[in-house]
Amino acid sequence: MSDFDQILVGEEWENTDLSLLETLDHVLNRGLVIAGEITISVADVDLIFVGLNVMVSSVETANEVLRRREATE
Amino acid sequence: MKLYVYCLAEGVDSLPLFPRGVSGARVRLVKLEGLSLVVSACTGDVFHQFRKNGLAHNAVVRTVFKQTTPLPCRYGMIVTDKQLRNYISTHKQALRDNLAHVRGGAEMTLRISGPRLNDPAALPGGQRKPVGPGTKFLLDKRKEIRGEEWLSAQKAELSAWLDEKLPGLIRDEKINLAPQERALLARVDHLVDRSSVEQYREKMGAAIQERPEVRFMVSGPWPPYSFANIELEFSRQFGVS
Repeated sequence: MSDFDQILVGEEWENTDLSLLETLDHVLNRGLVIAGEITISVADVDLIFVGLNVMVSSVETANEVLRRREATE
Repeated sequence: MKLYVYCLAEGVDSLPLFPRGVSGARVRLVKLEGLSLVVSACTGDVFHQFRKNGLAHNAVVRTVFKQTTPLPCRYGMIVTDKQLRNYISTHKQALRDNLAHVRGGAEMTLRISGPRLNDPAALPGGQRKPVGPGTKFLLDKRKEIRGEEWLSAQKAELSAWLDEKLPGLIRDEKINLAPQERALLARVDHLVDRSSVEQYREKMGAAIQERPEVRFMVSGPWPPYSFANIELEFSRQFGVS
């Protein structure tokens, strides 16, 4: 069972991808920001900005990370 | 030692059986200034297994969400004990206010996609004769202002339509139009009472039928990720929102 229920209209979406996308979108792009230090590197490439105590990311970034990881796994 | 912070809550005195946190760390509760913080020890490789840890973050927050409505943290909040104490000490009132705002609530997310109508790119000024730099600047500025006006009008129209279709259900709303996206027109986050989630789904399901020209996806209930940040202070500090 996915984390959320959904209403779908029109084009068919793949449930698992949607569930993952929605979860990552919420977790990465929203939520309370507390001062902190972060570094995100995938395949030795810094993907996400570190500084100002803020993590800047996007769903596109997350998707890119996932694509790269899946390609190397 | 650094801590990974998942969420803040009120009135959580003990932990239920939590799933493992990011990097498989054991999740524990820290009480500061009357607030309960759900944390785990940060092992330093939090971002190594990105997808797994992102989902683990959400799983921990959802476990708290079953008990109460927390302020979920964004993925990646790693702090020292001192940083955390300082943050809570200096922001306690704003955090309490925000917890009061989301109390008993849940977030519902609505994505709207489809063909773009009345695109601002079609505004007058798209094709014109060559002009000097001054005139070009003014024309571009006019186009930019009209684009902003168009976005503002679209936002107001969407908000009014949703308000009409979801009467009395919306406690708070955030609308993000996506003028640069090819397919996604808008993302809307609603804060609703937990007890209204089913009603929200039903009414939104009926409303969707009225707009066959676009596609909708409704997801939720989520912990209130979109309503957790202390936005005014955040934008004042960093100049971004």
